[in-house]
Amino acid sequence: MSAETTSTVARVLKPTILILIAVVAIASRLFSIIRFESVIHEFDPWFNYRTTQHLVKNGFYEFWNWFDEKSWYPLGRVVGGTVYPGIMVTSALIHNVLHFFNFPVDIRNVCVFLAPMFSGLTAFSAYLLTKELKDSSAGLLAAAFLGVAPGYISRSVAGSYDNEGIAIFLLVFTFYLWIKAVKTGSAFFGLLTALFYFYMVSAWGGYVFITNLVPLHVFTLLLMGRYSNRLYVSYSTFYAVGTLLSMQIPFVGFQPTRTSEHMAALGVFGLIQLFAFAELVRGYVSPKQFKTLLRSGIVAVGAVSVVGLTLLSLSGVIAPFTGRFYSLYDTGYAKIHIPIIASVSEHQPTAWTSFFFDLQMLIFLFPAGVYLCFKELKDEHVFIILYSVFASYFAGVMVRLMLTLTPVVCVSAAIAYSTLLDTYLEKSEHVLASNLKGIQAQSSVTDTPASNTPATTTTEAKAGGKKAAGKGTPAKTVTKAAESESKTHAKTHSDKKRYPIFNWDSRAMVIVQLTWFLFMFAWHCTYVTSGSYSSPSIVLASRQADGSQVIIDDFREAYYWLRKNTKEDAKVLAWWDYGYQMAGMANVTTLVDNNTWNNTHIATVGKAMATSEEVSYEVLRQHDVDYVLVLFGGVIGYSGDDINKFLWMIRIAEGVYPKEVKEVDFFTPRGEYKVDHEATPTMKNSLMYKMSYYRFAELYGGNAVDHVRGARMPAEGPTLSVLDEAYTTENWLVRIYKVKDLDILGRDLKDATAFEKGKVRKTSLLKRK
Amino acid sequence: MGRLTTTSLLTWACALVAILLAISVTEANQSADLAIKVAKLNDKASKAKGIIELDSATFEEVLAMPRNYSMVILFTALSPQFQCAPCKNFDPEYKLTAAGWSKLPVKSQLYFGVLDFKVGQSVFQKFNMNSAPSVLYFPATGALSSPPPFDRYDFAKSGFQAEPFASWLSAKAEVQLKVQRPFDFLAFAVKAIGFSGLLALGHILYGRAGKVMRSKYLWAALSLFTIFVMISGHMWNQIRHPPYTMTSRDGRPGFIAAGFQNQFGLETQIVAVMYAVLCGAVISLISSVPRTEDPSKQRLAIWVWLTLFGIMFSILLHFFRLKNPAYPFRLLF
Repeated sequence: MSAETTSTVARVLKPTILILIAVVAIASRLFSIIRFESVIHEFDPWFNYRTTQHLVKNGFYEFWNWFDEKSWYPLGRVVGGTVYPGIMVTSALIHNVLHFFNFPVDIRNVCVFLAPMFSGLTAFSAYLLTKELKDSSAGLLAAAFLGVAPGYISRSVAGSYDNEGIAIFLLVFTFYLWIKAVKTGSAFFGLLTALFYFYMVSAWGGYVFITNLVPLHVFTLLLMGRYSNRLYVSYSTFYAVGTLLSMQIPFVGFQPTRTSEHMAALGVFGLIQLFAFAELVRGYVSPKQFKTLLRSGIVAVGAVSVVGLTLLSLSGVIAPFTGRFYSLYDTGYAKIHIPIIASVSEHQPTAWTSFFFDLQMLIFLFPAGVYLCFKELKDEHVFIILYSVFASYFAGVMVRLMLTLTPVVCVSAAIAYSTLLDTYLEKSEHVLASNLKGIQAQSSVTDTPASNTPATTTTEAKAGGKKAAGKGTPAKTVTKAAESESKTHAKTHSDKKRYPIFNWDSRAMVIVQLTWFLFMFAWHCTYVTSGSYSSPSIVLASRQADGSQVIIDDFREAYYWLRKNTKEDAKVLAWWDYGYQMAGMANVTTLVDNNTWNNTHIATVGKAMATSEEVSYEVLRQHDVDYVLVLFGGVIGYSGDDINKFLWMIRIAEGVYPKEVKEVDFFTPRGEYKVDHEATPTMKNSLMYKMSYYRFAELYGGNAVDHVRGARMPAEGPTLSVLDEAYTTENWLVRIYKVKDLDILGRDLKDATAFEKGKVRKTSLLKRK
Repeated sequence: MGRLTTTSLLTWACALVAILLAISVTEANQSADLAIKVAKLNDKASKAKGIIELDSATFEEVLAMPRNYSMVILFTALSPQFQCAPCKNFDPEYKLTAAGWSKLPVKSQLYFGVLDFKVGQSVFQKFNMNSAPSVLYFPATGALSSPPPFDRYDFAKSGFQAEPFASWLSAKAEVQLKVQRPFDFLAFAVKAIGFSGLLALGHILYGRAGKVMRSKYLWAALSLFTIFVMISGHMWNQIRHPPYTMTSRDGRPGFIAAGFQNQFGLETQIVAVMYAVLCGAVISLISSVPRTEDPSKQRLAIWVWLTLFGIMFSILLHFFRLKNPAYPFRLLF
């Protein structure tokens, strides 16, 4: 086949492969739809879904000004100002466009399929990014890896309608544009980077990663002595436009000029201006004068900035790190100071098994790719190296940040894998020819060590870099940069002469083995996706002894009951985990939800759960609570129930009400957390315990065993006097209690209940005699 | 009948007065005693920066009923023969907290005591205390007849720092204790000198070792090392502090923790090494093999690296199956 036909075939093949990758990426995220139905998953997505509904129904301005009085009762929540609106606006836009063309798609389906659709786009941007780093074949591999890598699928299956679903696409695409901007030095790409950065800011709090990584890249390049006008133009455009745009998001507001996590970007912006100024001055003064100027300039600027920063942080203009972010640096911080952060499972550190589970063979190809980046070490490779090192640290600290690591792992592993393939598939003649070329280029450079543009161009072309010499940038810088680059390349060629792989059998072995690993990777991804990441968590599936599948739909059953059987403005108290779901599915007013912005309010709910009926009743009355909802997994063995989360409720409540709730009281003298007859009196009297185990013993005729904790329960279950059982679902997973009104006769509710049960109290017996 | 009632009433009244008198006398006595005790305690405490050193006898004395003050007591073992490192760690923090005593508006609310094992063995035995340090808080008894229950400070939960301890104590004793860390001039000086020394060293080395600093191989090694350490779950160890190894019981290797979300120190190191070997094999196949000129040597190198690669990956998968027995894939074994 001639070179021309090969390129024609490649031109057809590449889009086809990319489309197929997108199809695979989307298809592998549909397990949950096929197995269950088109339903929104988990917790946060329900809030996003609810707000999207609101946006579609009432329009953008209504959404922007929305004050949601149905959550955080009685405080309410300003939704427009406390939300990253990117994902809602995106789906509303898609919905409206489809409707404009008369495709009557329900907004729910847009929301359910949004993340898989965007994963196709993410794969495409991984292709573009890797193409900038190596070539298009590595790009295709990267796209395929990212399309199916479980680390990314975990947050983007169909129905997982969360910010991360579109944010990872934006992250990768913004990085692609940034690299493009640095390579070309064009303000246009800088502007595009800024625009997509804005989109990212509007979509996910993780934008801070970009805000820090890009300046870090610039800073490192400056340290490496690689200041160029390309860098200046791209970063200045990106920072100026991007920051101004990001401040338009109400939730971000003035943070870019105030909080510490944005300071790096600002500092580097200042630094690069100084660099540019120094470069300008250098052209007008003698070298000696310049040196003196530079020295005094550095001292002056350093002093001014140190004094300024100290003053600003002392006066409180610059805020300290926010908790969630701070816990990334000081890993012990959250545990002591903010139990609410420590309580969230996705904020836990990552065990090695999770890394392997999410990335399989990519995890060890990834460092090899980083090594290859070091071999090339152009500006864009520096970026990938920095991204790799920092993302692997962050992913280690927080499971959730596996998501930011996955793209760079895929890109870098693809570089390694495709280099392997190149090495073992390349025709021998090509290698020899390129060797010859390298030597020629080298000799021409050594012959004329001064700025030698022709030689430079050949080396550049050989290296496959498209760093166009003189694309509108001043000739001086380019020649300088190109000169140093050509030197490095020449050196690489002189001491590393390459030979082809001589034996066909070794070639074949390597290729066979690599292909086999690819197969294994695909199997692994499918296995993980289907088994672990495709559960909607609001519908559970379990297998019976005979292998048949049983669907446990208790959550929706309970929420539907609430929706149909309570009055319009019923207030339901439950632990914050279920807040979004209750608002979305049951349309009731909640006290706390997954937004967790008010720790005191959450602690109050914890207190209501952890104290005795009398104390708790007061809290319930004060907050106008009509119903209390608890999850109880003891019957079917669902381990994520409220008794297991109870310790966190106690801890959070203790943080605010140390006198009324004490964690120690819930542990037996031997320090065990027990629910059976050994349970402490405080435990047995707590509202949570009572609500969970109310009538539980009856269910088994007094011989009940809690299947989650494997505890044999006492035959005599707890009694309730301030609550009435309102509804318990099929598998007892959700239990809803109605808060009793004050007694009509003004009696204590405990006495009233006792009286109604016919148990006349002893004192009254005596009195009657 | 009537007279009798009057007499008995009178008698009763007399008796009542007598009892009341007696009580007030004892109360006066007691409050006088208390005042003396408090004065003594104040004296002792203000002499030793808020800390009252106790032994078995004085321990009983200060805690004797009734008392109108609360007492927090650190049970410690500072003698070198006990080798109690946490005791030594907590001691300065406790002193720091106690230093806030002098700033309390009402001094007689709370006193800080220290009881060393050397002089208070019997008390340690009485409280059944097997480990030090322990901090017990004894609230004021007021007019109670039986001693109120004491509270124990939870080191495991709150840590050894003075700040959480002070806030715990403030909540217990209903006082405002503030920890004011003295500015550590020595540490500051050491840091300042060290920093400027580093700067100077950097300046000196920049000329000579600038080549090393600018060597991309150094940075590559550093980056790869960081990545290997991170992806093998090192941060998990940093946060959770698992044991390094565990002695095996049921034949399972002791260096692999049971459970998918659990790991030992050694285990992560093994994984890091495996990743490094696998990655090394890939790098060799990419960059060192094509530089071999001799075809048969090249073939040998490829086969060796490839075999190593395959075997190591199989071991890794096997390792992973030990953690997650449901995992269905395997390579060689």
